[in-house]
Amino acid sequence: MFTRPVDVAGAAVFVAVMALLPLVFPSNYLIGVLTVSVLYGIWAITWDFMSGLTGRENFGHALFIGVGAYTAGFMNTTFGINGWWSLPASMVMAVLFALLIGLPTLRLKGPYFALAMLSGSVIMQRLMLIFWEQTGGEEGLNGLTPLIKSQIGFYYFALATLVAITVLLLALARSHFGLILRAIRGDEATCQAAGINVTFYKIASLVISAAFAGAGGAMYAHYQLQVSPQLFAVVTSITIITMVYVGGMASIYGPVGGAILLVLLTELLRNFGEWRLMIYSCALILILFFLPGGLVAPTWRRIRAALTARRLAAAVPVSREPST
Amino acid sequence: MTALLEVANLNKHFGGLHAVKNVSLTVERGEVVGILGPNGAGKTTVYNLLTGFIAPDAGARIVFQGTSVLGLAPYRIAASGISRTFQLCRPFVGLSVLENVIVGALGSRGADGADLEARARKLLAQVGLAGKEGVPVEVLSYGDQRRLEIARALAARPALLLLDEPFAGLGSSEIADLSALIRRVHAEEGLTVVLIEHKLREFMRLVDRVVALDFGEIIAAGSPEEIVRHPAVIEAYIGRDDGATSSEASHAA
Repeated sequence: MFTRPVDVAGAAVFVAVMALLPLVFPSNYLIGVLTVSVLYGIWAITWDFMSGLTGRENFGHALFIGVGAYTAGFMNTTFGINGWWSLPASMVMAVLFALLIGLPTLRLKGPYFALAMLSGSVIMQRLMLIFWEQTGGEEGLNGLTPLIKSQIGFYYFALATLVAITVLLLALARSHFGLILRAIRGDEATCQAAGINVTFYKIASLVISAAFAGAGGAMYAHYQLQVSPQLFAVVTSITIITMVYVGGMASIYGPVGGAILLVLLTELLRNFGEWRLMIYSCALILILFFLPGGLVAPTWRRIRAALTARRLAAAVPVSREPST
Repeated sequence: MTALLEVANLNKHFGGLHAVKNVSLTVERGEVVGILGPNGAGKTTVYNLLTGFIAPDAGARIVFQGTSVLGLAPYRIAASGISRTFQLCRPFVGLSVLENVIVGALGSRGADGADLEARARKLLAQVGLAGKEGVPVEVLSYGDQRRLEIARALAARPALLLLDEPFAGLGSSEIADLSALIRRVHAEEGLTVVLIEHKLREFMRLVDRVVALDFGEIIAAGSPEEIVRHPAVIEAYIGRDDGATSSEASHAA
């Protein structure tokens, strides 16, 4: 599905545009916005890998982001460990939380997993305030060291990470592993009748999703140079889900576009302050209503169809002529 | 040689309802066995108990290929070689027809070795769905969904195929096609097949042996000819009537 040259070309154009933007319009503000959009891209794509493919909605992806970020925060500020160690450590911590919530709830049908993720993130946000002596409370942890000194250097690192995660998750989604995840969305009972350990695959996909979301959280912490309880906010989780819907559920690459679009939209809506959530919600409702397949992935499919048709038309005319 | 499947003392209570009562049955390798019974007789519950979707009451014995599968998770029982279809078709929605069959092979011995896609295409051709490989499963007709269910179940290379009312909702020409298909896979692959049905007609020409259930209990077992004449079966189907004659029994068939 995505090994066609036209897809590779499309991806290359996208990466080139993202890489060249800060060179063409050199501004720290733009680099900042792009960095945040790329990190949201990581979170959206990891959400889509688990929830988009298996159909088990995760209403608390912010849990993994927050856990990753606080892991980085504690290691770097409290223990003074080099920031690069935060990346693997945050992945491990996020995976532990994924198992903590996934093991008991993913074997159940019904909304338990979604609710447990939601409450997990809310509880963690509360705990960060309750244990303010260790966590810094509302202020959070400050004074993290940057991973890469130059702002543009970090942006390229984040972009490369996003590309790597996208390639990996797309490959997984296209493998038999991904096919099973999509089959789980289709019908769990039939999966079991086909000898598939449904619980294992759901937990495995959550673990993969959590690991990269946690790494994204650590990167975000080392970008903001601070972490705060706000990372666990429900708004973050909802924003990510909105990005996936805008991007095109279960397409994996679509949510990257959704994330970039919505981060840019947020910047444009800065003046609306607290109304942003309202506007996000309206966007989600409108998209669910009018574009159930999302915006980004279907648009790309249309462009691809047009490009392929034109190339075929260019290649075929010789053989077509005799018939007319 | 031991039987392929041995079931003894199978019981299931749902609250006050004794849905399956002391069911014991044996299926030999290569047999085609029919489980017959009116709606609500407990046929599907028996399947759910055999495949681990529901746990039986204590004291049951389910031995498949010489090992007990009692208490195993449904996916383990499936992977050990029992494939089933569902009374209401339950395809993998959102996947193509071809992908549905490939997934059928991924959970079990079917995934070993050979090119899964080529085998899935062959199975689809076998059940008469060639040319529909790329079609989204949602747009298939009901009859085609039934064929797909069978292809999906066969993809796992089962030793035992459990079909749950494979003819439900089909027209008579479709029923003829489908039973020809079941006969063919039985003959070609030496597959052991158990099928549930509440109508007798097609069924009678297809099966070697019939087990009749009513109110969760085995009321009769024997060859199809014996079953149509069995008084308990006649009673279950057309009610007790002292004037009942064999002509009425064949009418029920």
